Amino acid sequence: MKSHITTLLVIAVFISGSVYAHHSAAGIDRTKTVSVEGTVKAFKWGNPHSWLEVEVPNSKGSTDIWNFEMNPPAYLVRSGWKSSSVKAGDKVKVAGRPFMNGDPGGILVSVTLPNGQVLGAGQQPSTLPAQAPPQ
Amino acid sequence: MANLRMNRMGMAALVALSLLAAASDLSAQFQPPGALGALAPANIAKPRPKPPFDLTGTWLHGGGPDNGFRFSPPAGFKLTPEAQVHYDAARKAQSEGKVYRDDIGQCWPAGVPIMMTRVWPIAMIQLPTAIFMIQELLNSLRIVYLDGRPHTDPDVAVPSFNGESIGHWENDTLVVDTKYFVADHHWIDSGIPASDALHIVERIRMINDRKTLEIEYTATDAKSWEGEWKWTKRWQRVDERDIAEVECLPELNEHMPTTHSNAHVR
Repeated sequence: MKSHITTLLVIAVFISGSVYAHHSAAGIDRTKTVSVEGTVKAFKWGNPHSWLEVEVPNSKGSTDIWNFEMNPPAYLVRSGWKSSSVKAGDKVKVAGRPFMNGDPGGILVSVTLPNGQVLGAGQQPSTLPAQAPPQ
Repeated sequence: MANLRMNRMGMAALVALSLLAAASDLSAQFQPPGALGALAPANIAKPRPKPPFDLTGTWLHGGGPDNGFRFSPPAGFKLTPEAQVHYDAARKAQSEGKVYRDDIGQCWPAGVPIMMTRVWPIAMIQLPTAIFMIQELLNSLRIVYLDGRPHTDPDVAVPSFNGESIGHWENDTLVVDTKYFVADHHWIDSGIPASDALHIVERIRMINDRKTLEIEYTATDAKSWEGEWKWTKRWQRVDERDIAEVECLPELNEHMPTTHSNAHVR
């Protein structure tokens, strides 16, 4: 699959690019969205985070492993996710907030599945106003 | 006859004194033989005044003004030289877009007080003898004893991240005294270390028709800062939520690049 990496400068939208974290998100550039296409290597559905690893072809003729951190299932189900939404071998397009240092990976914003369905980052499962994640 | 009566009175006094001595040996962590644990039905069934409120429920920190999740130092604060080193390092890291010693991200427990204000909810179960609090993040357990036991003797107390909490009722307020904290990998705020001298008093009330939990914190830590630091935090009932099993495992962090990127200063 041809590598397709597009960096879009966007207005920082905190919620769509945040993870319901157990850790700091220092090092993540929340002002940018990176889009990559590749093949799912692994997908974890669990607490405190789900995650998605994608093999993405690079300019050297090999592949990089892009690791996207995700919200826990309680958030993801509110964006239509299921544990079976993606599996190893699926061709997907992933948008995420990237690392400032250019390392492959980041915080997941959305996934476009082979059938064209787009799954978002999830929503906070409560009636409280959304809060900034702790550092 | 008179001597016999005196002997019986003396025995009764001795028994009473022995019971009193045994009671004074009660402690939060090491109950003496024969003492009742907080979940013993006979302890729960003991006659006690009706508590002014019941915290049982699921609570999520947030909502309203001046209710941030951080336990930031007050204006004009003064740290000890040992703590100042950490604080300066944290500010330097922050100025470089980095984070200083994000121990929670490395699976260390958040610890009291900041375990109370994570973005994860806390399940609370109140019994007459104790309140069990389970923070969803790492399922961190905090127990507030209400059955009259005193703090453990400092010579044998085992320090922990959530400390040892003893509560009592004062009118419409639950007053909780917590001490015996671990000093390593335990932070009050970014770059503000908790020491084994940390002592926290919480004044807990229910407001807003019992839909809001409010806690006034007063914290001292002579090994980290001077004087008392105070905060007021609020939680909302989230009746539509339950907590889940949430573990932080090394295998997880292998797939969490943000936990081992070069944005971390250790």
